[in-house]
Amino acid sequence: MKRLLSSFTLLSALVLTSCNSQTDQENELMITGSSTIAPVLSEIAKAYERQYPNSRIEVQSGGSSKGLNDVRQGTSNIGMVSRRLKPSESDVQSYRIALDGLAIIVNQSNPIEEINSLQVIDIYLGKITNWKQLGGMDKEITVVSKAEGRSTLEVFSKYFGISYRDIQAHVIIGDNQQGIQTVNGNTGAIGYVSIGAAEYEETHNNAAIKRLPLDGTAATTENLINQSYPIARDLNLVLKGKPSNLEQQFIDFSKSTDVIKYYHSHSLIPATLPTKISSNTEQSTVH
Amino acid sequence: MSTTTFAHNTKKHNANDWLATTVIYIFSALVLIALALPIGEIIINGYDKLSFDFITQLPEDSGRSGGISSILASTALIVLIAMITATPLALCTAIMLTEYLPEHSLRSSIIRGSLDVLAGVPSVVFGLFGLAFFCQTLELGYSILAGGLTLSCMILPTLSRSITSALHTVGDEYRISGAALCLSRLSTLWHVTLPVVLPGIAVSVLLGLTRAIAETALLLFTSGYSDKMPSSITDSGRSISVHIYELATNVPGGQQSAYGSALVLLLSLLLLSVLLHLTTHKLQRRMIRG
Repeated sequence: MKRLLSSFTLLSALVLTSCNSQTDQENELMITGSSTIAPVLSEIAKAYERQYPNSRIEVQSGGSSKGLNDVRQGTSNIGMVSRRLKPSESDVQSYRIALDGLAIIVNQSNPIEEINSLQVIDIYLGKITNWKQLGGMDKEITVVSKAEGRSTLEVFSKYFGISYRDIQAHVIIGDNQQGIQTVNGNTGAIGYVSIGAAEYEETHNNAAIKRLPLDGTAATTENLINQSYPIARDLNLVLKGKPSNLEQQFIDFSKSTDVIKYYHSHSLIPATLPTKISSNTEQSTVH
Repeated sequence: MSTTTFAHNTKKHNANDWLATTVIYIFSALVLIALALPIGEIIINGYDKLSFDFITQLPEDSGRSGGISSILASTALIVLIAMITATPLALCTAIMLTEYLPEHSLRSSIIRGSLDVLAGVPSVVFGLFGLAFFCQTLELGYSILAGGLTLSCMILPTLSRSITSALHTVGDEYRISGAALCLSRLSTLWHVTLPVVLPGIAVSVLLGLTRAIAETALLLFTSGYSDKMPSSITDSGRSISVHIYELATNVPGGQQSAYGSALVLLLSLLLLSVLLHLTTHKLQRRMIRG
């Protein structure tokens, strides 16, 4: 019993002392929101802390709406929102740090040159089963889709208006790399992956895949940035009112060229890209 | 005449028996397979990742390289806080229910009823409560302390129900004999009942512990997401289940590290149960002697 009591005292003493140590609010930032942005921003925050050792940046996940709410209520400094802001959300300022888009990919040997939304829907609902129905080669289509719970699946099914329960997939994959490998090794396969990941695998690992233009628009980084490619989402940092020095400095840091490698390693496209991919490849390989 | 009916009946019985036995065997085999498959998958996929470095290094590149040392430290702290706060409360509630209150009294049924209701509340709801109460009202923020305290609220009902049933397994003759020997209620409890049910209590604590370690949603709300090494319990710290969830869903290429972390989780649960088993026996002997 005595031991129990002493451990309690120890615990409460611990709590009290650690509460006291939490003082310096000036160099602290709290960032909450989208679970898509959280991993890459945590890495960027660590890099920031390495560069400015006095600062403390805390990144918490929880979803885009939480990010917005927290900023509005003042419980966090910066929110992460992984979609374009609605007109009703103009009370916050947004800074686009990165983009994420979905490319429809097929094997490089597939003669199909482009695809439209209706065809994609028919393929994923199992109504079109052979490439020759689209004027291509006589080969069964292997439909590659993502596992449930993946945000890419959500973006895909929302854009094409098909419920993921109705998707007739032959291969279920987890992440982008896996999807690219599957399409790379199967001449009849079709899949959808993050544009950033597709671009990376094409240039770095010579993946034999082809991004099909969707409804006449090529699935490229350029078209994502100029907002002409349709299946895309913005990854934003939002905050309320005028940014403080620290907030401004962190936002600038997260848009700087120093951190581009972090976006690439998370299959995202940095918004302030000096558009040529080749100039960044060096940085990413150095990492 | 009567003997033939009897023989006929036994034949039918035997057939029924045989059928029932087969069904039982098949179903228990299915359960074993259902248990072995995920464990097998975790071992096969996580084996490559497992190394000394994986356990002792900090996570890098969103957990895809490096190790999980900070995650293990946070998890240990969270679970420790949860168990330290929940166990005495649960034990006292259980003792109140079994030793002090008559079984069918109003007070006892109110306590039992509220424990049952609490046990049925989904962990996400506890998470929201923890976020509102510990993180915001008590201003603990996203912290290991807030996570541990919320977790203790979640495991409290199951913990105290299982300790109660452990205490129930002790027959009343122990308590009556204690009273006959002029032992006070407290010393009967301390020197007789508790030592006898200690293994049962240990199993309850272990079950609570496993539930605590496996909890994900609640901790994402309260102890947070940071994968840095915690310097105090007011820091945010990512628990291992949150880490696995994060790697499996939000980090591209995080699958391998997710399996590695899952294997570490599995092994640490195994280690914990062995340790608890050993210490319980030692403690039991000491309490009976003392």
